[in-house]
Amino acid sequence: MSATLDTVETILAAGEDNYKYGFVTDIDVDELPPGLNEDTVRFISATKAEPAWLLEWRLKAFRRWQGMTAPDWAKLKIAPIDYQASTYYSAPKAASGPKSLDEIDPELLKTYEKLGIPLGERAALAGIAVDAVFDSVSVATTFKDTLAAQGIIFCSFGDAVREHPELVQKYLGSVVPPGDNFFSALNSAVFSDGSFAYIPPGIRCPMELSTYFRINAAKSGQFERTLLIADKGAYVSYLEGCTAPQRDENQLHAAVVELVAQEDAEIKYSTVQNWYPGDAEGKGGIYNFVTKRGACRGANAKIAWTQVETGSAITWKYPSCILEGENSVGEFYSVAITNHMQQADTGTKMIHIGRNTRSTIISKGISAGRGQNTYRGAVKILPGAENARNYTQCDSLLIGKTCGAHAIPYIDSRNPSARVEHEATASKVSDEQMFYCQQRGLTQEDALSLIVNGFCKEVLKELPMEFAVEAQKLLAVSLEGSVG
Amino acid sequence: MTIVKSETTPYLAAYQAAIDTTEPTWLRVRRAAAIEQFSVLGFPTRRDEAWRFTNLRRLTKAPMPPAHPATSLPDPDAGVIESLRLAGRVCRLVLNNSAVVAAQSSGVDLPAGAWFGSIAEALETRPDLLKAAFATTDPAGNQPFAALNEALFTGGFLLALAPGVSFDAPFEIIHVNTDAASHPRCAILLGEGASATVMEHFTGSGAGWNNIVTCVDLGVGAKLHHVKLQTESPAAIHLAQTRATLAQAASYDSTVLSFGALLSREDIQVVLAGEMADFTLNGGYFLGGQQEATFAPFVEHRVPGCSSRQLVKGVIGGQAHGVFLGTIAVRPGADQTDARQTNRNLLLNAGTSVDTKPELEILADDVKCSHGATVGDLDDSALFYLQARGIDAATARRMLIGGFAADIIDASGAGETIRQHLHRHLSVWLEHLP
Repeated sequence: MSATLDTVETILAAGEDNYKYGFVTDIDVDELPPGLNEDTVRFISATKAEPAWLLEWRLKAFRRWQGMTAPDWAKLKIAPIDYQASTYYSAPKAASGPKSLDEIDPELLKTYEKLGIPLGERAALAGIAVDAVFDSVSVATTFKDTLAAQGIIFCSFGDAVREHPELVQKYLGSVVPPGDNFFSALNSAVFSDGSFAYIPPGIRCPMELSTYFRINAAKSGQFERTLLIADKGAYVSYLEGCTAPQRDENQLHAAVVELVAQEDAEIKYSTVQNWYPGDAEGKGGIYNFVTKRGACRGANAKIAWTQVETGSAITWKYPSCILEGENSVGEFYSVAITNHMQQADTGTKMIHIGRNTRSTIISKGISAGRGQNTYRGAVKILPGAENARNYTQCDSLLIGKTCGAHAIPYIDSRNPSARVEHEATASKVSDEQMFYCQQRGLTQEDALSLIVNGFCKEVLKELPMEFAVEAQKLLAVSLEGSVG
Repeated sequence: MTIVKSETTPYLAAYQAAIDTTEPTWLRVRRAAAIEQFSVLGFPTRRDEAWRFTNLRRLTKAPMPPAHPATSLPDPDAGVIESLRLAGRVCRLVLNNSAVVAAQSSGVDLPAGAWFGSIAEALETRPDLLKAAFATTDPAGNQPFAALNEALFTGGFLLALAPGVSFDAPFEIIHVNTDAASHPRCAILLGEGASATVMEHFTGSGAGWNNIVTCVDLGVGAKLHHVKLQTESPAAIHLAQTRATLAQAASYDSTVLSFGALLSREDIQVVLAGEMADFTLNGGYFLGGQQEATFAPFVEHRVPGCSSRQLVKGVIGGQAHGVFLGTIAVRPGADQTDARQTNRNLLLNAGTSVDTKPELEILADDVKCSHGATVGDLDDSALFYLQARGIDAATARRMLIGGFAADIIDASGAGETIRQHLHRHLSVWLEHLP
């Protein structure tokens, strides 16, 4: 049985306790006291035995960050965040890095088991190589050797800095510069770990690469950094999943993901984000401020983002594509759910630079409870983007009288041969559809789940099979209690 | 103590110089509040989301306080007015930099309960109507240009129809603006069940600045066809705000065509305040040279059962820049809302640009809302089709652009005479296409 089915069963078993990932793992951690200053940055860098250039890079980002203010343009109500109250480094205690799975804290392994992560032997069955990031540190990477045989590098960010500094130095910050925005600057200063993957020219990565993020320690922020490079003609599909324990206070998550696709390369990046959303009254939950961007550097490169956003109290996230190479392709498929007091301001940015570049945006927003769901997207056609094409479709589904759905697309075209189309709709779940389903014996919740899954189908079909099943179940769980 | 923005000083001085103690107290109080608000707000900058695409550099660089007295300007050329006016039976008012030109205006017998004239006249003879126009529309809000208009306006027009009054001939207002700055205040007040057609034509010469505020108040079941044709000089600045409030089952059909002005902006704010109210906007911007035009309709559905349709098209040539910032806002409880918004743009050549941002803000669930936006050039196969049938490339292009734009005019419910009038202007513009 695959590990993912395991997950599904766990979800089903979750019963009325909606957030099944709300457990806290009691393990020894190395933790920095809350607060942020240059010493914090130096400490993180020293702990990880980083080279001088990286420390310099972090400090530069930190100084940039000090002069920046948090963005307030999103349709989000955010209580002021005290950046000094967060813990910027929390690592499971270990004398030295684990050499094999056996050396990993059994408590940790149990946590991943609860999450349904195919670590260890189970990984082979699922055929997924996993890098698991626990709080701030990457704890294990499976299948490293199998991948290495093909020249693929897949490791934690820390390992990459040690073992492949030339690659890291070349690409780090090349897509998302540290000063890009407030949160990317913060991340650049204090990121503690994350995943790194490099697919050499002409290699098709034989398995899905995957990272599982989990925030465990209280009051801690997670600032991971992912860097993915697909060299000429390479292909990789990457999965990312996130959870956090149930806590009353808000926790901060500010990640940066950078993708680089060279000529003829293709990167498929899928996310199922299920951070703790807070309770029905809006207490607690993760603040998810993420900068994700991919660059299609060479001709015919392709980057596809697929995301299912069901968690987090606040989501601020715009996975984007910079389409530099001729004929390069950017895709964005998104499902975002807000229930109870959740707020999401999410979308994408497609920047067409090269000739014949194409992009597709499909966004499905679902609002229930008192949730506020905003699609914010930008399509930019620069003067050189001859014959560029964009198609955007963005639909909102409203469930209940107290939620909100908003669409704010920006279209900026500077080339007459480019064609840009945008379409958006908003409507409620039709009474007729609900009646039809219920008349045929479905419960109200099953009927809603069926309709919502149908509404999201275009996006879910873009997910790798195992993830799609999990995502469907997540949708149902997220919407529990939103009708009737 | 509030901080006064330095760029507003010349306008404060103009306000001080123009204070008229014979005006009713309520108006003087409002003017004083408005100028204070303007002095605090100052000119919007590109940091303001609503103004980020609008280049106001010329206004902020060289202040343009209004000419005093406005009546000292020479009358517009009678021949020009003759060539611009609508054919047939029309009730006409010609305004020169917002002051009425009696010799060129012509009335027809108005039915009882109808009042149509200049703002100056309304202030003298019917201040109650003017007061009503102010009472039903928002104060300047957060909008510096509306505040400035409120502080400085001396002219404009007012049309008021009592309940049940309807008038078959169109009311035509020709606004002529020259080098000066002018701040006309206009109002259209229709009582319960009243109906009217209003055609406004803005024209002029020189590098003037026209800062217009128009209040539209429609009573229960009232019907208004409102057409605005803007063909100001290619050096002018034209900033217009229309604020409309619709009572139950009222219907507002608005057509706005912008051909002129170097910089123009149409802020059209519509509040659907009564159930079953209906709003239609057909808009078009036709740009060339260095022109920059913004359409910013903001439609607010406050109550259940209202519908709104917006179709705004842009044809952009030369080095011009078109902007569409549309919003549909559905307030909590405004169920059974049916709202649609479409923006289509044709970019004719390299060097043109368009920014479009159709926005939905929905806080009710039983709604049908949609928006769409497209940007592109002419369909090559359509061009080929026409050329294959012996039509030369330039003519084929004009035909296709004309067809693209004609929709907006054809959809207007303002009557055949006005539609033909608009079509004529569109053809003239098409003929001048390179």
